[in-house]
Amino acid sequence: MFVFHRRSTALILSVTLLLLFIIVGCSNEGSSKDASTSSANDVSSSQSITMSWPRDIGTMNPHTYNPSQLFAQSMIYEPLVSYQKDGKLEPALAESWTTSGDGKVYTFKLRQGVKFSDGTDFNAEIVKKNFDAVMKHKDMHSWLGVVGVLDKAEVVDDHTFRLTLTEPYYPVLQDLSVVRPFRFLGKAGFPEDGDTSEGVKEPVGTGPWMLAEYKQDEYAVFKRNPNYWGTAPKIDQVTVKIIPDAETRVAAFEKGDLDLIYGEGVISLDAFKLLRENDEYVTQLSDPVGTRSLLLNSSNPKLSDVKVRMALHKGFNKQVMVEGITSGLEEAADSVLSKNYPYTNVDLEPVRYDLEQSKALLDEAGWKLPAGGTIREKEGQPLELEMIFDKTDPIQKAMAETIQAEWGQLGVKVNLTGLELTVQIKRLKANDFDLYFWYNYGAPYDPHSFINVVASPGFGISETLSAIPMKKELDDRVHAALSSTDETKRQELYGFILKTLQEQSAIVPISYIKKTAVYQKKITDFVFPANRDEHPLTGIEVGAP
Amino acid sequence: MISYIGKRMISIIPIVFVATLVTFALIHISPVDPAEAYLTAAHIYPTPEVLEQKRHEFGLDQPLLTQYLNTIKRMAKMDFGTSYLTNKPVWDEVKSRLPATVELALWSMLFSALVSIPLGILAAVYKNSWIDRVSRGISYFGASIPQFWLGYLLIFLFSVKLDWLPVEGRGTWENLVLPTITLSLVLIAVYTRLLRSSMLEQMQETYVQYARTRGLRERSILLKHVLKIAISPLITGMGMNLGKLLTGTIIVEQVFSWPGFGRYFVDAIFNRDIPVIQCYVFLAACLFIVCNLLVDLVQLYMDPRISTKGRAEL
Repeated sequence: MFVFHRRSTALILSVTLLLLFIIVGCSNEGSSKDASTSSANDVSSSQSITMSWPRDIGTMNPHTYNPSQLFAQSMIYEPLVSYQKDGKLEPALAESWTTSGDGKVYTFKLRQGVKFSDGTDFNAEIVKKNFDAVMKHKDMHSWLGVVGVLDKAEVVDDHTFRLTLTEPYYPVLQDLSVVRPFRFLGKAGFPEDGDTSEGVKEPVGTGPWMLAEYKQDEYAVFKRNPNYWGTAPKIDQVTVKIIPDAETRVAAFEKGDLDLIYGEGVISLDAFKLLRENDEYVTQLSDPVGTRSLLLNSSNPKLSDVKVRMALHKGFNKQVMVEGITSGLEEAADSVLSKNYPYTNVDLEPVRYDLEQSKALLDEAGWKLPAGGTIREKEGQPLELEMIFDKTDPIQKAMAETIQAEWGQLGVKVNLTGLELTVQIKRLKANDFDLYFWYNYGAPYDPHSFINVVASPGFGISETLSAIPMKKELDDRVHAALSSTDETKRQELYGFILKTLQEQSAIVPISYIKKTAVYQKKITDFVFPANRDEHPLTGIEVGAP
Repeated sequence: MISYIGKRMISIIPIVFVATLVTFALIHISPVDPAEAYLTAAHIYPTPEVLEQKRHEFGLDQPLLTQYLNTIKRMAKMDFGTSYLTNKPVWDEVKSRLPATVELALWSMLFSALVSIPLGILAAVYKNSWIDRVSRGISYFGASIPQFWLGYLLIFLFSVKLDWLPVEGRGTWENLVLPTITLSLVLIAVYTRLLRSSMLEQMQETYVQYARTRGLRERSILLKHVLKIAISPLITGMGMNLGKLLTGTIIVEQVFSWPGFGRYFVDAIFNRDIPVIQCYVFLAACLFIVCNLLVDLVQLYMDPRISTKGRAEL
């Protein structure tokens, strides 16, 4: 039996409520100071810029993946070799390098006088320490070709470092230029046991920027690294505001809180159009960073005939569709890989839109329209296919619907299935699809990663191509290209591979994807990085607002 | 009293048990493999070897029952494991995001009470007057406008055009204004109508006529007697909404870049970050029960008739 005191209950309740407010208020105080000193003041200062990013920058560990954001990792950490325009590889932390005649030994002369942001020296020993940390979790990184063939990583002398491979693999340098995992953490960042997979102590790198302030999910402030060996950035501070919503990003930009919005798909097509028409702002599109393609799975008997695949390729107006749906943000693609990668500047015959030819090809292949029917048939089977698309991607959805309508006129029935991305990938890997929107990896991963999946099962591409008549020959040439040490021969092999893919039409190029940048007029000298994953900030200048 | 609260708190256990079981089942029915989702999010191609290694790391290669029992065992010790995605203890991650969500929830609750209680009373007292019509207008608007759209409209007007308030972020009181209004409007819409009708109903009761005949002043009848009883459904509503607000206001957090719990949870769902999802379900279950208990305690205080009944039942 208890006695219920009304007044004391009221008191308890109000005190609880008050306490909650106080707790919340206190926990908030620290952040409010930070935010007002860092982000708010930056905008007015001409030596710094504020940009947005959709996600928190993550843990800034150079050797791990999600949730760390690539662009931020690339601000702090640097590679041995840097990937530049048109695939040119330039010295970064390695000043020069030599390759043995058999293509199995790479010797790097490291740049002298390089210091980490904490003042410690960059040398062969720390390079080895980083390689060891990465290779300790080899399986995690097996997607990167060089990891699979790396035999030994050795210190030759203080500024010489050597890699030995188990077999020749030409894209070693391209693989070393990617943002993760082969970039270099200073000694102070390593945990006691040297295993960085569980986290780093502090983000110490040799790059032009260092992380000065960070508030999870809110912002990150990067300051210029005073010890940077290269040309110092012209601005001294970059504040990255974490804004997950695309429309909010645009509002913050229009208000003047943001100087730069950069990335792939970071603002809606409509917002980009509006900002482009506004003279107060500058909008820019990059060179192609990847290709949006449609896979026509040749292992499906209905798609095994090249005539059917070619008919489908010719049977929709790519130019009009891409322009109409993306408002010029993407460009209609003539080949699976754009010409700005190494070895891909090959002359290929583009496949043109031609409805009549398309119908003729289907007739030739035996798929005929039955009297009074709208769907073509062969041996009693209707020409009906399923197209899988990512239901969260408005562009894919619009394209899927357009293609469905256009092929409908040919007498081909397309059923659309919208799926979650992970389910989609699962079906791709299981070879459980007819038509699938696929993207290549972009620079610096391509073209070698692309040809690798052409020949390696398990990625969906080799399966898509499995019923083309020259599949075996194609695979052999891919292996030859990846291990070749002769430039001319490699170029020849790439030529054959790209030409074959073009003629077989199992991978139908649709559009070239571009990065967008929208910025205030005070920013000058904005250049997109050649490496898809890197940041564009080092060259930026800020003029009078 | 204490034993009553104690009993109610103990009821958390079976509810959490059921909630985690359902979540666990749902996650495993879903065709998405958490290891695969992790790799996709990390832009790593899920080769069979990597997948197997990740599954082993996450303990997904164990029998379902073992996995579930392990989870329950850990939860009992308030250990929610490590996030698949960030590799940090889930509880630390949640703890760092909770204050932002709690702050927004409490302010929204407070603001909606401060607006809807006077508005509801006035709308009832001056039935069919202009103030009643205005309150009805606000309610229609608040109940029918989608929250994200309201958020954008407020941002566009007060931040971009008038430049009075920040677009996004957290830290100062200015940051709180727009998200609080966005969250509160729908609550105000409901509470005002709820209070109005409940007041009108009570005003027909005989005790009101009796009070009038006793010569009590109208204001004192309304505020001291009618309101005290009429406010009861509103308190129930607020308790339920508080639970909802505290478990994260996903859309508003997204629109205003509010660094709260809801945003974190949505990411966890997309990435099938099971430890995070389970921690969330656990917290949500607890919060709802605690909020309900709070409601009952307030009701007990406000309406002594319930308290006697309640006591008899105990």
